[in-house]
Amino acid sequence: MSMTPSQGAAAVSATAGQAADGARRPAGGGTSGGPTSGSGTPARKRPRRFHFTPYLLITPAVAALLLALAYPVGWQFATSLKEYGLKQQFGQPAEFVGLDNYVTIITTNATWMVLVRSVLFCLINAFLTVAIGTALATLMSAVPKGPRLVLQIALLLAWAMPVVAVMTVWNWLFDWFHGTINWALVEAGADGFWHHQWLAKPLSFYLVATIIIVWMSVPFVAFSIYAGLTQISGEVLEAAQIDGAGWWRRFTGIVMPMVRPVLAIVTLLQIIWDLRVFSQIRMLQDRGGLPSETDLLGTYIYREGVGSSHFGMAAAMSVFVLLITVIASSPYVRSLLKEDQA
Amino acid sequence: MKKASTLVALTIAAAMALTACGGGDKSSSDSSTKAEDTATATAQATDTAGDTATTDEQTPADDNANTGETTEIKLWLAGGDTNDDLRAYLKDTFEAQNPGYSLKIETIDWGDLVAKLTTSMPDPATTPDVVEVGNTQSPTFTNVGAFLDISDMYEELGGAKLLQSFVEVGEVDGKNYTLPYYFGSRYMFYRVDVWAEAGLEVPTTLDEFNERVVALTKANPKGVKDFSGFFIGGQDWRNGISWIFANGGELAKKEGDQWVSTLSDPNTIKGLEQLQTLQLEASMAPADAKDQSPWLYINDSDQVTEDSGDVTETSLAAGTIMAPGWAHWSIGDAVENEDGTVAREWNPEKFGVFVLPGNDGKPAPVFAGGSNIGISAASQHPEQAKNLMRIIFSAEFQQMMGGAGLGPANSDYVSSLGSDEFAQALIDSALNSKLTPAAPGWATVEAQGVLEEFFQKVSEGGDIAALAAEYDEIITPLLNG
Amino acid sequence: MTTQTATTPSGTAGTAGTAAPAAATRRKPRTARFYLNRAGRAALSLIAIVIGLIWVFPVYWMINSAFLSNATLSASTPTFLPFGGSLNNFRQVLQHGNFGAALRMSLIVTLTTVVIVLLFAFLAALAISRYKFRGRKSFVLAVLFIQMLPAEGLFLAQHSMMKELGLLNSWLGVTIIYVAAVVPFTVWMLRGFVAGVPADLEEAAMVDGLSRTKAFFRITFPLLAPGLVASGVYAFLQAWNEFTVAFVLLDSDKKTLPLWLRGFIQQSSQQEIDWGQVMAASTLVAVPVIIFFLIVQGRMTSGLVAGAVKG
Repeated sequence: MSMTPSQGAAAVSATAGQAADGARRPAGGGTSGGPTSGSGTPARKRPRRFHFTPYLLITPAVAALLLALAYPVGWQFATSLKEYGLKQQFGQPAEFVGLDNYVTIITTNATWMVLVRSVLFCLINAFLTVAIGTALATLMSAVPKGPRLVLQIALLLAWAMPVVAVMTVWNWLFDWFHGTINWALVEAGADGFWHHQWLAKPLSFYLVATIIIVWMSVPFVAFSIYAGLTQISGEVLEAAQIDGAGWWRRFTGIVMPMVRPVLAIVTLLQIIWDLRVFSQIRMLQDRGGLPSETDLLGTYIYREGVGSSHFGMAAAMSVFVLLITVIASSPYVRSLLKEDQA
Repeated sequence: MKKASTLVALTIAAAMALTACGGGDKSSSDSSTKAEDTATATAQATDTAGDTATTDEQTPADDNANTGETTEIKLWLAGGDTNDDLRAYLKDTFEAQNPGYSLKIETIDWGDLVAKLTTSMPDPATTPDVVEVGNTQSPTFTNVGAFLDISDMYEELGGAKLLQSFVEVGEVDGKNYTLPYYFGSRYMFYRVDVWAEAGLEVPTTLDEFNERVVALTKANPKGVKDFSGFFIGGQDWRNGISWIFANGGELAKKEGDQWVSTLSDPNTIKGLEQLQTLQLEASMAPADAKDQSPWLYINDSDQVTEDSGDVTETSLAAGTIMAPGWAHWSIGDAVENEDGTVAREWNPEKFGVFVLPGNDGKPAPVFAGGSNIGISAASQHPEQAKNLMRIIFSAEFQQMMGGAGLGPANSDYVSSLGSDEFAQALIDSALNSKLTPAAPGWATVEAQGVLEEFFQKVSEGGDIAALAAEYDEIITPLLNG
Repeated sequence: MTTQTATTPSGTAGTAGTAAPAAATRRKPRTARFYLNRAGRAALSLIAIVIGLIWVFPVYWMINSAFLSNATLSASTPTFLPFGGSLNNFRQVLQHGNFGAALRMSLIVTLTTVVIVLLFAFLAALAISRYKFRGRKSFVLAVLFIQMLPAEGLFLAQHSMMKELGLLNSWLGVTIIYVAAVVPFTVWMLRGFVAGVPADLEEAAMVDGLSRTKAFFRITFPLLAPGLVASGVYAFLQAWNEFTVAFVLLDSDKKTLPLWLRGFIQQSSQQEIDWGQVMAASTLVAVPVIIFFLIVQGRMTSGLVAGAVKG
């Protein structure tokens, strides 16, 4: 009974893992990746000889993906090697230009600025979303049913809002003339916010975008992590507390390791999603701000493609972004796969 | 092992690319098999006509000769400017004159028009037959061959009587592809009472205007916080270019066969300097405001009483705005309709209009709003499309357009706009109005938001000469496609 | 049923797990809680409620404004309660365009997408969590990478492809694209659920004389329900909200609800933006989702519980 808090935490966390595995739940297996993994057991038993079944099972999904994506993605690769503008779209032959489009992209300063901005924006948003989501999930698990329900229903409602509706409401809340946020700030004594223009300066524009995106994305993260938290046994935490572990210790020592798999996948998804953010930025740009200072990858590609009718260039840009995303996320994906390994 | 599977995944993607290359060539075939295309078109048409028609097989190529069905002619109109009466007239008249054909009118929102035209116009199966396109967007599409050459109809549809600046943006190498559909132009709405209280009279020259709106801002007779003598958004280049034009400046001009941006031209700079002064001293509009709904700010600080008895206040913020003519429907005292909605009722004691004056005694050249109309080059029914064009340019329809407040393309019918102050201001300002350059890449300049950016930076007090040089560099390559 | 599966592990953990410390203070078994004193608990409860209220404010604001007249809304002082409000905005909005047709279109596209996605993704999830086969890993990787495709550059190709297939301006064309867009993530999500259902249970049932298929439907399938619900919700939201693909592939007379809403806003902003009407329109688009959420709500949270853990 004289364990240091950290030892105690480690010990209980291990027992919790075994316990979960005893119930044949995947939770413990996911973290340890050991031979007791829930997903591992059946998978190892199965392969006696060559099976047609799995191929049959993935056929519909693969077919759907091929049907919807093969041609457009292929078109994109092909077009990225051509000079393809409005003229070509209206029937003139498209000239093959090799890697010219890619060279132009790589040598254009704007591309790198947009890329850097996008990566920063994505990391900040993903971090905030996951951090706030985790905090709210923890909060949910710490409070009695009543307050928990209030919080959960609020998050559900926010989650249910269609993007177009979300953007309309937020645009209005931040409106310079009649916006409720300016009004509230002025009422609170911040007179500088009378008719304040939130979208005019890039940083302020991104602040608004971040608030909106985090607001929209947190519910998914919070529910996923709350789900993970509910699988942690209360007794384990109690035990740690009796052993003298403070709440922070308990959080970092027990809770975090247990929800790590959820956290990992949720973070990866957030990063992917936030890097491709498009609708929100585009709809904010409709209201204000300068495109060249507020473009992120999504709107940049769209502006190149639809706006300027430089479809070859836009295609090359898309391929370039895909490559960057794949490269940037590959360490992450590798570690995910390792956990997936049976 | 791990690397290998990553490779496999990427190879799948590559394989997708290769298979698609083959497919791509097929799809971009320039309709060597016309019959087939027509068949698809018909299939498409029937599919849209019947709500639940899920015809998997294509209808036979022989159109509708022996069935009782009608062939559909598609007309795309941009935005809601063409009202329901006008639409009904077009449909009824067309169908009466062209038995066996029906007219389907679809509305495309302005913001979506370029994208929709890009995807749909090249292909006979998807193209609309007759298309309205923004006057400034017209060169982009006429230059790539999206429209049918209708030079042979030019005289018949009105010839020299058609609004020539619009005819020009529809021309390539002397051939007519699109013709004017309607025009609108921008003039000033002002607060009669506020100007009077400040002891100011309506200006008769541009210089007077520039001085008086600044004076009005300083006077601020109603003591409104952040009052704008003249409200103009920082990014609002469509209204802002009036000052460039009024000083003899241009946005771009053609040198040889190349378009060149001329923001650094001395006259252009002079106009921009005046505009900058207005932005800094007369307008409290946001630096990133476009030309959207400036009329919100000129309406009075009304007291509105709700059913509940609550009294709420709306706020006045501007003494003068510049807006398209139809804005007058949104300006006035608030009155409650029977159905509970609030409408604006024009009150001549509070509100007035005037045309932005130039320094030469004539109205200043303002941006000519409006649109062009033409026949898609891929239309499968050019004869019927031409019939539709004849209806649009007929005396009756032109007069109906005027009656609806849209400037008719044919100068013979301008009187149909009426004789009230709005019609007068519209006609006066339109007389001298100007269009954006007819460069093939103009739509790109607009889509990229380059001018919004340039004007915002000017409005924030930037160094005009340096900014002009910087943006000339950016715009010139875009102009030539 | 669903809540039981979700809470089982902690129950088991209580008995099978740690002996001494747990026995010392055994209260009623519960899921993870931070044991705090009464004051701390109350403070946290308060924080939770306040955050909830802040979070829901934009939603509330939308609904509140939908009942108020434009004059009230353009006042310099906001009105926080819809007293004295009316249904006028809704009445006006419903006259615009064809709300009914757009609602029908959205429902057809969304529900079809959900059903197809669940079926396809479930089968694929079954394959990758129950079988080891050549190409499994490539499939998993492809599923991940597909989510990284920037979609903004694809629309020209999607348009011409659907034209070739004769599916332009049809709900089916849009549905195909949506299915492909949603399937990858759903496979990923369902995989966790399928793996979580012990194959031994199924085998035990087979020993008891049930056929493999029967065993599956009697034993495994009910355990998967929460996972299917959670994935279904995801698919529903994606398909319901999407508007770029719908815009490119559908003509104006076949609009889905987001397109209808966007058209309404664009039209409104050309004249005096009537925020009350715009908010009423937004509310109308959000309501079906909220109804759907309320129907599945109970199942969903527990579904997320089980599924997300494996991720």
